[in-house]
Amino acid sequence: MKKDFEIISMLAWRNVWRNKRRTILTLCTIVVGCAMIILLNAFAKGGHDQMIEDATGLVMGHIHIHEKGYWENKTIDYAFEADESIEKALSSNTHIRAYCKRIMCDALIAKGGTTKGVMIQGVEPVREKQVCGLYKCIIKGRYLSDSDSTHAVIGATLAQNLKVDVGNTIAIISQGFDGSIAAEHLTIAGIFKSGNPEYDKFLLQMPLKQADETFSMMGYIHAYVIKASRIDNIDAITSSLSKKLPNNVEVLGWEKLMPELVQFIIMDDVSGYLFDLMLFLVVAFGILNTIQMSVYERTRELGIMKAVGTTPGQIVALVILETFFITVIGVLLGVALGAGISYYFTVHPIDYSQYSEEIAVWGITTTIFPATVTIANTVVTAVLTMIVSLLFCIFPARRASKLHPVEAIRHI
Amino acid sequence: MEIIQVVNCTKDYHSDGQIVHALRGVHLSLHKGEFAAIAGPSGSGKTTLLNCIGGLDYSTQGNVYIEGTDISKLSPKELSRLRLFKIGFIFQAYNLIPVLTALENVEYILLLQGMGDSNRKRKAAEVLELVGLKDEMHRLPHELSGGQQQRVAIARAIVSSPAIVLADEPTANVDQKTGSALLDLMEHLNKEKQITFLFSTHDPMVMKRAHRLINIIDGMIVKDTLVKRKNK
Ligand SMILES: Nc1ncnc2c1ncn2[C@@H]1O[C@H](COP(=O)(O)OP(=O)(O)O)[C@@H](O)[C@H]1O
Ligand SMILES: [Mg+2]
Repeated sequence: MKKDFEIISMLAWRNVWRNKRRTILTLCTIVVGCAMIILLNAFAKGGHDQMIEDATGLVMGHIHIHEKGYWENKTIDYAFEADESIEKALSSNTHIRAYCKRIMCDALIAKGGTTKGVMIQGVEPVREKQVCGLYKCIIKGRYLSDSDSTHAVIGATLAQNLKVDVGNTIAIISQGFDGSIAAEHLTIAGIFKSGNPEYDKFLLQMPLKQADETFSMMGYIHAYVIKASRIDNIDAITSSLSKKLPNNVEVLGWEKLMPELVQFIIMDDVSGYLFDLMLFLVVAFGILNTIQMSVYERTRELGIMKAVGTTPGQIVALVILETFFITVIGVLLGVALGAGISYYFTVHPIDYSQYSEEIAVWGITTTIFPATVTIANTVVTAVLTMIVSLLFCIFPARRASKLHPVEAIRHI
Repeated sequence: MEIIQVVNCTKDYHSDGQIVHALRGVHLSLHKGEFAAIAGPSGSGKTTLLNCIGGLDYSTQGNVYIEGTDISKLSPKELSRLRLFKIGFIFQAYNLIPVLTALENVEYILLLQGMGDSNRKRKAAEVLELVGLKDEMHRLPHELSGGQQQRVAIARAIVSSPAIVLADEPTANVDQKTGSALLDLMEHLNKEKQITFLFSTHDPMVMKRAHRLINIIDGMIVKDTLVKRKNK
């Protein structure tokens, strides 16, 4: 049994190199196919990561901790105490790059005769800057600092609508945590333009300390906002925090915070997978074609092998091993090439930033297209290519094994 | 006991809705050590008869016994083992596996039989020496002449000491001189090693060399003559 496997694999290996040109062409199909699948998946993943960063980076953050019920109702009542145990869990988690506290509530904002609805966020300016990038979008004035009190930054559209500018004072009115009326005069320290119409039209940020006072929060907050060191760590962080934190709070990753983005990524993935499938089929049919040709050309030889006592099982093994050898070589080279190119674009993303002004006309703010190559991507591609080609080669293998020696030998 | 016994064997082929009677009631028996030729014109059924005897094909009716075993009752798998251990085959041409050297082609049979490394190499080399290819052992088939390739085929056919060697027009693809030399070799092996040969031919020169001449026409044996062995 072992002996004949040896000779069959030796035969298979030599048969692979019998028609060098054809084998090399087949190898090229596999290499290019695998490399393309890996590269496309890497760009898809890179694009999605970028999208997630863009969507979470300015205001949302990667992960929120809320009082249970806050995210459904978004009212001031769902606040929790920012106690030691939460801080400890956050600061001890190595996957977390930074975190900050927020007070959040809806309010009315008035200036002169104009009144608008706004979303108020009380933030800790210095820590907030480590978590979110809104401070980078200031177009006039400055962002908040820790020494600010009755100061605020607002969106450009809101400022326009209220006809206010840096240095002006506005009034906000809302309900406090204790049910009382909360009202305050705030001086506009800066105006931001984020590119997100929602934020530009409705968002106001003020210092957390002042918000605590204005809304009578008594040390309660609405959210911890967390930035993960890497997007891929988010799931690990949420599950580890969920276990550690008290029962009254919940931990929500960006996927829960932004379900529309998840939907979009899934749709995009589906079309990506369809494309992958097509490439897999091209590769598999390339291999199938080669094996089928080589089996057909060897009809007489296979007939003689059977005549002298080679069993059908050994013939099946021969054809499968030939496919296996070609595919393994192709997949190894293809994975190396695909992962190599993808890695290059992971380190050196395609950068359109020198054309950012031209692109901005189209409403596109992203100018960097990175790739993210993952081990999962390369391993899955390699394994699937192997499986698909081995499945396909069963047809010619079975046909070869069923050849009738007499007829095969008559065949020249 | 007869090594081969063919009893009332018929073989019909169906092609394009027509029935071809390739064999029509063949009776034949062969003893150990015979050197026999099946002679007949093209299409007379020589190949068909050899295939039925060698277990490459089933006869339509009748029985074929190899060393007493009725092979028409064997499964394809059992036939495959029978061919591996009991029967040596030599075909007209392109007998060999092109990616294996002469030595490996001969070894191939022993490997399929499961023989261990050292014995196998020694035995294959011995047989190749016997057929006069000591120096060409490590060449690939395409590096050998037609006659040399047939010698490798003969070596492969006899390496496992089969009950009988069946050769279907083994000299048809080589010139007279080479063919004659191949016959010398087979005759020598027959005489020295007591290997039983049954070969087909339509070449009068080859017929003359046989010790027994079986004439077949239209799927029937019409004449079966023992030729007196000439002492050279
Ligand atoms: N596979 C087949 N299908 C149909 N007819 C066949 C087949 N094999 C052989 N024959 C026919 O059977 C007859 C005997 O053929 P064969 O044994 O090859 O003769 P020979 O070897 O003496 O030339 C011929 O008429 C041939 O055409
Ligand atoms: Mg013939």
